[in-house]
Parts: sequence; structure tokens; C-alpha cells
Amino acid sequence: MTEKTWMYSVLEAVQWEMRNDPAMTWIYELTPPVATNAGMPVINLETEFGRRRVVNTGIDENWMASAVLGAGLAGSRAATYIPYQGAGMPYQVIQNHAGKLRHMTGGKASMPVVFVIEMTGQTPGFAGQHSDYEVDTIYAHIPGVRTVVPSTPYDAKGMMHAALRSPDPVVFLYPAGLRMLSEEVPDEPYEVPLTRAAVRQEGSDLTIVGSGAGMPDVLEAAATLTSEGMSVEVIDLRVLKEMDTETLVTSVAKTRRLLAVDQSYYTLGPAAEVVARCAEAVEGARFRRIAFPDAPPPASPEMFTWMRPDATRIADAARKMV
Amino acid sequence: MEAEAISRKDLRDGISRRGFMQIAGMAGVAVGVAGGIARAEGAIGYHAMDLSDEDLTQMLRTILRIRWHERTMADRMLSDPNYRAYNHFYAGQEAVATGVCAALRNEGPFDQIDLVYSTHRPTGHALAKGVDMGRMQAEFDFRATGINGGYAAEMHISDPSVGFIGADGMIGPGHVIATGSAFAFRARGSDQVSVVFGGDGTYATPHFHSALNNARLLDLPFIYVLENNLYHQYAHYSYSCPHTDIADAARAYGIPARVVDGQDVFQVYNAAKEAVDRARAGGGPTFIEAKTYRYYNHWGAPGADVGQLGAFGYDPLAITSFRPEREVRAWMQRDPVDIARDTLIDWGVLTAEGAEMLEAEVRSEVDTAFAWAAEQPLCTPEDGLRHVFVEGEVIPRQIA
Ligand SMILES: Cc1ncc(C[n+]2csc(CCOP(=O)(O)OP(=O)(O)O)c2C)c(N)n1
Repeated sequence: MTEKTWMYSVLEAVQWEMRNDPAMTWIYELTPPVATNAGMPVINLETEFGRRRVVNTGIDENWMASAVLGAGLAGSRAATYIPYQGAGMPYQVIQNHAGKLRHMTGGKASMPVVFVIEMTGQTPGFAGQHSDYEVDTIYAHIPGVRTVVPSTPYDAKGMMHAALRSPDPVVFLYPAGLRMLSEEVPDEPYEVPLTRAAVRQEGSDLTIVGSGAGMPDVLEAAATLTSEGMSVEVIDLRVLKEMDTETLVTSVAKTRRLLAVDQSYYTLGPAAEVVARCAEAVEGARFRRIAFPDAPPPASPEMFTWMRPDATRIADAARKMV
Repeated sequence: MEAEAISRKDLRDGISRRGFMQIAGMAGVAVGVAGGIARAEGAIGYHAMDLSDEDLTQMLRTILRIRWHERTMADRMLSDPNYRAYNHFYAGQEAVATGVCAALRNEGPFDQIDLVYSTHRPTGHALAKGVDMGRMQAEFDFRATGINGGYAAEMHISDPSVGFIGADGMIGPGHVIATGSAFAFRARGSDQVSVVFGGDGTYATPHFHSALNNARLLDLPFIYVLENNLYHQYAHYSYSCPHTDIADAARAYGIPARVVDGQDVFQVYNAAKEAVDRARAGGGPTFIEAKTYRYYNHWGAPGADVGQLGAFGYDPLAITSFRPEREVRAWMQRDPVDIARDTLIDWGVLTAEGAEMLEAEVRSEVDTAFAWAAEQPLCTPEDGLRHVFVEGEVIPRQIA
């Protein structure tokens, strides 16, 4: 076990899978598949596997996503890394093709492909088209595509192994705000299932559900509330599609209070889905959700940081419920 | 265009254009007349030389304004920890924006001025089109009185009052949108033109091809200015485009295309003037590829030093395709500021002292703009919910 960053953990998984499958390919646009970690060998997929398998391509995210889909349909595992500025560009091919092909071919189409999609939205100052956290919502809406959003390096590595081994197309969201996060991550390959949420902290007074880049704030709020004497259960969704209803409902049935938190826009965000699933299954519970307002992210840090549901706001919302 | 290069001196000396061409042809040399002035096509045409001294001086002033704005930004980023703005620098490419915008209509009612669609590297285009420097700088610094109220910052600035539709953080989509403006001009019988700037990186996008195809199919008053600075982020353009001249691709769409020396403002102006004349007369789109170079890195000022122009020796991720330092230095030998200044001195438009005074004037204007911007009020947090729709309120959902 070694302390590793998010990206090192992910590329370690990719490297292992590529070593074990000479047909597997990787397409990138401006984020070279290179990662370093103190005391560990440099991972550079391009130099290790060559430019025939690891392709640095032009600015056309639609092609990148289409190409890995085509590779999958031809029987090769393939993955692509879409930088956050292009996060929405491959939407059409993922929604209309990757999501529908298996079903519309009566189960004949096979798509062992992974779309790594970087997203930002937690960084003040960038604004507009460089602040695109809502893609978690839009990709999670698509049937037939597994959409995951790991929030820790450990999960990121395990879910990358699982995603690359999955016969289904997987949208693997990477919250760029977690770039600097690091933790102990095993050197060996392991899988984190693409079907389960994670209970990060157990408690009995209140369930707080978050995901992706929102998790550090959720955990910080939970720590504050715990120190004030509240017993908080924290769930990291981790998988947006298919959302793990069982873990959510079990928790809310116990705590009877649910606070769902989104970094995405309020309308139709994952938190709305979390509340709806629990409301259908648990009688008499209380619900609240907070999210980024239905306004595009402005550049000014003064405006932006006010609009984010941060740890303080999460804790405030929780106190109003208990 | 070949032998249209001719200096004022030759005209003064009474050599006719025809005669000059013959001499040049016989000598079999490229027509670089003034020493040290580089001319890729070997040509400085007549359009620029037909301009008044005032207009010509204005071009140098614009180049200098962009240059000193850039250098001041870089120095602030490198030396002032309280400086909050970030940048994609345009230094090295000043002659392109300047030459193109000098051929456009930049003042007047909105339904008469020409429109410019910019890139994620927008400062040069904005200044050349007439955006106020102080208010632009205030925007970069996220101030409430910035040109877009602190909502935009560098990659999204916009000022329709001067026809600057705006920067675009995305690579590609704006180019197609720009053809839509051109479509509207044609439909309403206006003689306005729609200009889009794009980098070599746009070649790979589907938008590049859609914009050119539709502009040609509909004969739109549309000008595509491709600033080929050799790199899209950290990759050489040969990684995304099979052509040496991207202009060849435009020609394949049936669009007249020219390759110009993007370091020479007058050459850029000449090409732009022809393109604008053609578009206004209903002759359809033009493609201009300007060969140019950015002195700083893709983003920010890594590799640069305070007080020094350009960034050297920076290879962020040991990417083999990224530019060698030798290449940066070679391009800096052919600097757009020097070329414009030397040409104007050579043409007798300015004296060396006059050029120095102009530069001093510009530097003080830039300092004033930065000082003004730094004093502007910060944004009010709650204003982040404004401007979503014209009417109606957005609820602060981050607060339970
Ligand atoms: C659709 C899209 N994909 C990716 C990016 C990320 N990106 C920002 S700038 C850039 C390179 C642009 O290169 P080029 O067009 O040549 O312009 P230059 O930066 O060289 O001026 C890229 C890939 C983006 N902004 N938009």
C-alpha cells in the first residue's frame, strides 16, 4: 500500500489492464496519460504502449467517444479521456448510440468501453463553459450507460478496473476538483463494484447523501455535526446509474431524516433522484436538499463561493432538520 | 500578390509599380526592401500603403497596446500574489488581430458594425476591436464594474457595443455560430461581415468543417481567420491536421484562401481588406491563415520571468511534441512590434523618436488601466443569481 493521488491510482488500473490485453487502446486529447507518485515509477501509457495503441488526437471529443465505441463494437476494449472543456461534446453519441445500441440490437451489440469525462465546477474564477458540473446529471439520465463518480483515489482505481472489465459502456466522471486528493491505495488490482453506494460514516439521527466533488464538504460538515453531538450517517453515492436505492432506503429508514446535497444544478440533479427514491420507500421521513442554484456559475469568486453548497451550508441545513 | 511589395521610398524615387516588379523579377529575389523586415509571401501590398499616416500609426499603437497589456499581465501574475486574474497570452500574435480589425467597421450603430467572434485567447482581438482596456482588465480581475460585471473573466469577455461578440471558452462551436450572424446579414441585406478567429487546433473540430461548408454553400459574408501558432495546447498541429497549410482545407470547400505572414500587420491587413471587400460586395466567404506564434505558454506565465518577454524552457509534462526553446527564440526574431515599427519608419510615416514616444504613451495608458481596474469594487455575492433570464428570480438553492 502506498499513498497515491487520484490520477496515479486510475492510471495504475489502466496500465494493468493494458498490459493484460494487448488489444486495448486509449485515446486522449490534451491530458497525456502520465502520472507520477513519490517513490513510484512514472506511468506513461504513451511511451509504454506506443502511439498505435495510445493516441494523442485533435480537438474532437465527439470523435474520441465515437472511436472508442467503434473499437468496442469491433471487439476491442477501449477508453478515452475527455477533458472538462469538452465534457458535453460527446453527449449525443453516448446518449443516442452507446446508451441504446445493446437494447436496440436485441442484445447483440457489445460495448466494453469507458468514457473518462473530466468535470469541473468547484473552481471559482473559470466560469461559463469552463464550469460544467451538471454533466453528472445529464449522463446519469441515460439508460444503458453506467455512470459513476468516484470521490476517492481508492474508489477511482477499483472502479476503473471494474469499468474496463465491464461489458457495458461506462461513463467514468472525474471531478477535477479532487485532483490533489491522495490516500493509501493498494498496488495490486482490485474491483470496486459499479452498483453500490458507500456508507462513509454510520449514524442514527440524519442521513447526508453527496457525491463526487461535493464529498469533501459533506464529510467536513459531518465532522462538525458529530463534534456537536449529532449522529450522522454519510453516504457517497459513487454510482449515479444504476443508483443504489437499497443503501439509501436502508439508511433513511433508520435515521428518518435525509439531507441530499448536489454540486450540480438543483433542478433534476442526483439529489432530486435520491429524495424521490427514499420518499417512495420510507413513510414519514423528513427531506431536504441543497444544490447549486439554477444559474450558470459566474467567474467572480465572491459570487461563486456564495452559490456553492459548502460545508457550512450543509451543516446549517442539517441542524434545521434535527 | 507576389511582387506587390514596394516601399514608399521606391515610389518617391519614381519607380512605377510595374517597373519595380520587372526589376524584382529580373533580380529573382524576394522583395524584402527594408533591411530586417521579414515578409513570408515576399509581399506588402497596396491596401496598407493607401492608408493615411494616422491610420497606419494607429495600427502600430494597437499592436503596442496589446503587447504592453500582455507584458503587464505577465509581470503581475509572476510578481504580485494578490493579482487574481489569469490569462491565455496573445503576445507574438498581435499583428493578426490588429491587421484584421483595422479592415473592419468598428464604430457606429450595432446594425452596421462588423462582428468579431474570438477565442479563449481573446485580449488581442478585444483590444483591436475597440474594447475598453480598463474595463476589460477589471473583468479579468473579477470586478463588479468589469466589462461583463465579473461574470465572464478572461475566457468569456464580450462587448457587443464595438461588435466584439466575444471570447469563447470552447474550441469550435463559435465558428458555426459566427456563420449564423453572417447568414442574418445576408438575409436582411446588410453589408456587415462576420469574422471568426480560430487556432490551428480548431481544424480537427467538426465545427471547422461545418462553418466552411455552410459559409460557402450560402455564400455568406464570413471571414475565417485561422491563427496558426503551431500548437494546440502542448501538441504540435501536425497531431491534429494533415496539411502544412490549413488554408488548403478551405480551398477544398471552394473558399478563396490566403496564407499570410502573421507577424506582419500590413500583410494581414491587405488580406483582410480584400476579404472584407469581397464579403461586402456579396462575394461570399474568405479564409485567411496567418502563420504566427505565441511567446508565452498555453496558459499563464510558467517559464517566464518578470520584465522579460516570452517563456522559455517550460515543458510541463515532458511532452515530446511540445515546442523547443530554439523555436521560441527564432520566432521572437521576427517580432510583430519590430516589423510594424520598422516598416513605418521605412515608409517615412514615423521617426524612430516618434515611435519611442508612442510606446511610452501606450505604456502609461496600460499602467493607468491596471491601476483603475485594481481599485474597482468587488462583486456582490447575491448578484450571482442575476442575468439568468430577463425576468424572474432564481432561488438560492444552496441555502436550505
Ligand atoms: C471543445 C473543447 N475541447 C477542449 C478544450 C480545451 N482547450 C482549450 S484551449 C485548447 C487548445 C486550442 O488550440 P488552438 O485552437 O490551436 O489555439 P491556441 O491555444 O494555440 O491559440 C484546448 C484543447 C476546449 N476549450 N474546448
